[in-house]
This record gives sequence, structure tokens and C-alpha cells, in this order.
Amino acid sequence: MLYRVRKDPLFFAGLILPAALIVGFLILYPVVNGVILSFTDATPLRPGAPKYVGLENYAYLLEDEVYYASVFNTSYIVFVSSALAVIFGFLTALLLHFGVKRFAPLFRALVFQVWVFPWICITILWGWIFNKDYGLINYLLTASGITESNVDILFHETGAQWAMIAGFTWRSIPFLMVIALAGLQAISTEILEASELDGARFGSRVRQIILPMIRNVLMVALLLDAVRFFQEMTLPLVLTQGGPVNATMVLSLFTYQLAFENWDFALASTAGTLWLVFLLFVAWLLLRFGMKKVHTR
Amino acid sequence: MSTTPQSLLTYRRINALAAYTVAISAFAFLLLPIYWLVVTSFKPLGSLFVAPPELWPREFTFTNYVNQFDPRLLQMFQSSLIVSAAAAVLSTFAGSLCAYAISRFHFRYKNALLLFFLASMAFPLPLLMITMYSTFNQLGILDTYWALILGNTTLGLPLSVWLVTKFIDQIPVDMEEAALIDGASPFSVLIHIVLPMVRPGLAASAIFVFVTSWNELLMGLTFVSSPEVRTLPAGITLAFLGEFEGDWSEMMALAVMVTLPVFLLFMVMQKSFLKGMTAGALK
Repeated sequence: MLYRVRKDPLFFAGLILPAALIVGFLILYPVVNGVILSFTDATPLRPGAPKYVGLENYAYLLEDEVYYASVFNTSYIVFVSSALAVIFGFLTALLLHFGVKRFAPLFRALVFQVWVFPWICITILWGWIFNKDYGLINYLLTASGITESNVDILFHETGAQWAMIAGFTWRSIPFLMVIALAGLQAISTEILEASELDGARFGSRVRQIILPMIRNVLMVALLLDAVRFFQEMTLPLVLTQGGPVNATMVLSLFTYQLAFENWDFALASTAGTLWLVFLLFVAWLLLRFGMKKVHTR
Repeated sequence: MSTTPQSLLTYRRINALAAYTVAISAFAFLLLPIYWLVVTSFKPLGSLFVAPPELWPREFTFTNYVNQFDPRLLQMFQSSLIVSAAAAVLSTFAGSLCAYAISRFHFRYKNALLLFFLASMAFPLPLLMITMYSTFNQLGILDTYWALILGNTTLGLPLSVWLVTKFIDQIPVDMEEAALIDGASPFSVLIHIVLPMVRPGLAASAIFVFVTSWNELLMGLTFVSSPEVRTLPAGITLAFLGEFEGDWSEMMALAVMVTLPVFLLFMVMQKSFLKGMTAGALK
């Protein structure tokens, strides 16, 4: 280590200060304050200090069907789209690395940009693609004979959910593909050649050598994307407004609407606090089980 | 399959052909939505509503793009540009200083600090926004660029710290040590030696924060209400939910224009971004 805090305290403080100010005032304080607000009746609509109400908000929220729907929908949509994205991302990476190696950089450059495609643009594009009368999806569905006539997918509960999943998956396949490709490129060719000489088939090479070696990379990328999916709500907010019948009501949209459409800061803070508790639980599960497995391998 | 050299060669060729076919169709499928977006943006509105849809526009038009150039939209572009650029600079500035401390100082809770930054990306944004809203209200900066700049800087900071730390970790400390022994101050070592060496990392951080801020919708909808400071995602959302009257081709042209800047920026920084992302994960 180049420096020690005790020897250069001023330099250390100067380096940390800007980030500490931002984290302190705009991350830590809001989290703590949010937890506190969840025990009050805070709302910006009424002047005066908020009153302490105990667990009233929690009791109310835990009886709200829409809340449960939003928790379920979020988990469902995030889980399915993350799983699909990691599977397709890995498969396309394999295809690039072993099938068309020479053009891998070209293909990668072609699709990686999809990962930064603005959500608002995906949203209006999805509105057009899933349009009932002239959308591409409906044309493909009827032309291939899957459906007899055009359906209003976005006004159908399962259809709307899958439109969301399609959006999340599509945007994230390139990212997982690029990360998996980097992982594949880091595997030494000698190991693979040796196993090929030993007569191992491609399938078993993938399962027994490649997957264990890039598992960690894939896990990190998957986690990063799942975390982003959990927060992302442009698609349900603009395209379906959580409907039909709350089928696309996700946790972030639910909490946001409580806070900034109903201006019920207290109840929104309660939903946010429960969300935090849920995250802590998932993090604990990961640290306890997910990471341990990786170490013992 | 026999193993004569001749048949092995044919087998390889067929294999390669199959791989190319699958790869090209897979990528065509991935790029289909973007193709459809661009193609639709060049069609006159009338030719959108035909069955079967025209895969290639029979009639090209640029009017969808020309119609976008009204003062309201240019104002939104300007707001988005100011907010995103300022957040990118601020976040990279605070993030790289903090990254240097994390990488070169010896202190006990270093890993916990890095982990905290990673974890904070998962904190519920609506929960943070409740207190941000009250704080910005007290500071009197609601409905100004500052509310959006500070908000987006906060969202970008964890990744800035993380990316730049990975880059600083990769450069050897020898040069900094030598400069310190020669009597240079720690500050000038940072400015004149370290920062120039991690320029790709700084660029990756700045561009990444720019892209996420360009994308940000919630704060744009909530923290500002005047059209003069409204950013693109918020403005488009309000138009889409409100006055939009089924003019899909103009909407697609707008989407292309909103996407183009971040596509180009990201293309430039792809390599250094990847380097930072995979450096930590691969070890």
C-alpha cells in the first residue's frame, strides 16, 4: 500500500469527501429516513410534522392484494427474463467463440449497443411491434397460423407480462453474451485441446470444463442485470401502467405510484423498507450458499 | 462417418456452414426490433397501416425526421444533454478520487466499502427519491437542472467508483512511489501520474454515467415540472401518454434520434468498459 490513513489523513479525507457527501446525503440518509417514515403518517400534502403510527402502515400493506401481486410479478418477470437472458447469452457466446470465431468481434460490435438502447425507446417500439391491428408480432402470429385473428397482447394478462419479459431479455442478451465471450476467451486453448484429444464430445466439454470455469463471470453479470431489472420500470409505467388488472404491476412502479401519485410518503416508505429487507435476505442467501459453493469447487 | 481426409474436410465445411447460418439468423433475430424501428421511421404514416407489413419501405420519406425539429423537442435534447454531461463529470470526478483512496490507501473496511457501493445499486430508487424530493425542496432546487444532476450523479457514483478502482488496481505503484520519494506531493502524483494513466477508465465511467442519465425517467418525471428543464424520457412519456395520436412513424423517428447519441458514445468506449467490467469478475 502506498499511503496510510494515519500518515496522510488530510489527503485521505480530501479524496473521500466528495463521494462521502453524495453517499451520506443522497443514499444513506434517504435509506435511514425512509425506514423512519414507514412508522409515521408522512405526506407532503399536509403541513406539520408527521405523527408516529407504529406498525399501522405495515399492517395495511400486508393486507393489500396489489402489493402481493407486485411482489409476485416482479419476482416472476425478473427471474424468467434473467434466466432466459443468461441461457441465450451463453449459447450465442459459444456459437461466436467456437463457430464463427473470425467474425466474433464484428458480431459483438453489432449487438452490444442494444444494451444501452434507451428504455423509453424500447417502450414506444414495443407499443408499435405489439400493436393490435398493424403490429409485427400480430402479423407473424396470424401468418404462421398460431392465432386466427389479431389479439390485443398488451391488454391480455399473460401477453402483457411476456411483452415485458421479451423487452428485458432482449435488452440484456447482448450484455451477457459479451461477458460470457470474454470469459470464454480467457480459458486457455490448451485445456480445451487436451480434452478434445482425449475424445471428449463438445457437449461434455461445455458442461464439465467451460461452464465451471465461467460460472463466476456469468453469475456476476447475471446479478448485475437482475439488480437493474428489479429497479427498471419504464416499460410497465409507460406501456401498460401496471395493467391489465395489475398483471404488470411491479414493485418499483407500485412504490413509485404510492409516493408520487398518491403522495403517501409513509406507505411508499413502508413498501421500500420491506423491499430493502427482501434484498438483505437475498444477499444473505447468496453469501451463505451461492458463494460458498464457488469456493469449494 | 469415415475418417478419410477428404470426407473430414467436407464434414468441417458443412459444420462451418451450419455455424454461420445459425449465427447469422440468431443475430438477425436480435437485431430485428432495431431494423423495424429504423425502417418504420422512414415510412410515410399511410403505408404503416397495410397488411402484410412492408419489410422494405416502398416509399422513403424524411419528413418524420424533419418534423422532429420543433423548439420543444430541441429544448428537451438540450436539457438531457446538460443533465447527462454534468452528472457524468461530477460522478467521475467524485468516483475517481474515492477510487484512488480505495486502491492506494491501507484501511480496514476497504472491501466492505466496495461491497457497499455495489449493493447500493440495488437500493430501491423510489425509496431514495422520497427523501431526495424533500431535501431538494428544502434546498430550493426542485424544478431545476440541479435536482436531476445531483440525482443522476448519485445513481452513477457506485459504478464510477467500481470501474475506476479496477483500472487503478491494474497499474503498478512503482512510478507513484518514485515520484513521492523525489518529493512530489500526493496530490500532484494523482493529477500528473495516475489520472493520465487511467484515462480509458475515466472515459468509460463518464460515458456509462452519461448513458444511464440519458435513460433516466423517474426523476425526470418527478423532480421537475417546467417544460424548460424536462429531459427526453420524461417528455416522451408525457407525450406518449397524452397528445400522441397513433403517429407511429414519427415516434420511431424520435426514438432513433434519442438512441443515436448513446449508441455512438457506447461504441467508442466498448473496449475500455469491457476491460473494467471483466477485470474484476475473471479473477
